Amino acid sequence: MLDYLRLEVRRTLRDVGFVIGGVAMPVLMYLLFTNLGADDGGYKTAAMVGMAGYGAVGSALNTGGGVAEDRAIGWLRQLRVTPMTPRQVVMGRALTGSVTVLPAILAVLAAGGLLNGVRLALWQWAAIALLLWLGSIPFTLLGLGNGYRLTGQTTGVANMACNLGLAVLGGLWFPVTLFPDWLRALSAYTPTYRFAQLGTSVADGHAPALGAVGVLGAWLLAFGSYAVLSYRRSGRTA
Amino acid sequence: MTQTERAAVSFTGAVKKFGAVRAVDGVDLTIAPGETVALLGRNGAGKSTTISLLLGLNEPDEGSVELFGEPPSAAVRAGRVGAMLQEGRAVPRVTVRELVAFVAGRYPAPMPVERALRLAGITELAGRRVDRLSGGQTQRVRFAVALAGNPALIVLDEPTAALDVEARHAFWASMRSYARLGHTVLFSTHHLQEADAYADRILVIDGGRIVADGTSEELKRSVGGGLVAFDLAGGGTGGLERLPGVRSVEVRGDRARLRTDDPDATVVALAELGAIRGLEVAPASLDDAFLALTAAEGSRPPFGPERASSSNSPRRAGLQWPAFNSADIEEAS
Repeated sequence: MLDYLRLEVRRTLRDVGFVIGGVAMPVLMYLLFTNLGADDGGYKTAAMVGMAGYGAVGSALNTGGGVAEDRAIGWLRQLRVTPMTPRQVVMGRALTGSVTVLPAILAVLAAGGLLNGVRLALWQWAAIALLLWLGSIPFTLLGLGNGYRLTGQTTGVANMACNLGLAVLGGLWFPVTLFPDWLRALSAYTPTYRFAQLGTSVADGHAPALGAVGVLGAWLLAFGSYAVLSYRRSGRTA
Repeated sequence: MTQTERAAVSFTGAVKKFGAVRAVDGVDLTIAPGETVALLGRNGAGKSTTISLLLGLNEPDEGSVELFGEPPSAAVRAGRVGAMLQEGRAVPRVTVRELVAFVAGRYPAPMPVERALRLAGITELAGRRVDRLSGGQTQRVRFAVALAGNPALIVLDEPTAALDVEARHAFWASMRSYARLGHTVLFSTHHLQEADAYADRILVIDGGRIVADGTSEELKRSVGGGLVAFDLAGGGTGGLERLPGVRSVEVRGDRARLRTDDPDATVVALAELGAIRGLEVAPASLDDAFLALTAAEGSRPPFGPERASSSNSPRRAGLQWPAFNSADIEEAS
């Protein structure tokens, strides 16, 4: 399975679309947003977490795009006639997702620390990176659910819609403080808002709120079930 | 029982339904280790479903399928099977060597990657990305993927579809070298010449059933009949179709070609007419055998006396023998 992980990670990193859209874009958007407006240290930190989160969500969903592609070209079917078990294939894919979110997270954090002068304690950097990494798991599952259920093109569209919609609603692009009240109330239930909250609370120097972990946990279950159902359905046709 | 256990492939009354369609409708077959077997059939005859059952990608609704005495999924898991699937396309963003090495690494006793590349004739492409190869090259990469694990049974579903003649020859040369190592090979094709030239044994599938099973020679003989050709030398063609055994008449230039169920009787009759200049008698071709064996049930009975009686219908004759030399059933049907 490690070989499979290595192969798929390699394939992902060779995807120019992934490198530009999943890693370079969040970094550029972060630098753009934080250096055009007023110079406010607090915003640079919050936006750093938000954009790292945005990049992680995009990369996590991209895993599902890879699945849809592999289904379309018959690669998943080919794997079914090798000694690999379906469980190994799915696990390998999920792990691939969890590895390929790292470049986006690390790149945005590096841009914050090195270019934007964000100053945090070492433990805070480590904790933010770790929490964003773990917190991206529900999004990997959402991507896998889309990838196993939909065709290649619709997966791309669905992932894009999930990515942009959840990013904007969850305040990854613009802080939710700018939202009208009703939208803010809605935002509190999005996985992306809670995902970013994991990182922002650490940046503020305290542990993530139970509410954040709870809501994200609920989404983890929901997206996990969605992925399992989609995978079962694809097993019948692919 | 031991026979079944030793068989590389064994189907017992296998049925696979898709809704109301019985794609595989009671297939019994046994393939011994080391055989090279061709599965022939029209599109929609049940070839691909048979192969899906064989590989464990589908479960039979009735009957059973076993590979080396165990269920297909277990045989696949144990690394006894390699396959080149029909709809497979190039895997993006990997090199040929990475891909072949990865697949080889899944098997308990793979062949060295270099050897797999050499057998498939793609040694010089090892460092190239799979998605940047030509169609023929991709096809050979998929062959390397199928044999990389050194499986005892290799299954090739229409491996030469979309290959040009040269690539096809190269492909079959590779396949033969692999079969010579003692491996069992099952391939499906609708190129009759490929089945004729490269298989020890041919299975003809039609309407989800095995309608013939034997060597190419046996199939041709079972159909009987043949082709009698002679120079007209200015003689007329009238009445030729009423000669004994004759099923259809075709005139090309000054030469008449008679399809006949009984070449001997036809020749004797021709001799009586003195029409024997440049006389040639050829056995039925595999094309003929295939068309006869896969004749739609009821509407086209196998060759025999009934057939002769209806031989005067030109529409029918035209339908039956559309392209004598065609190697491609698709065109012929």
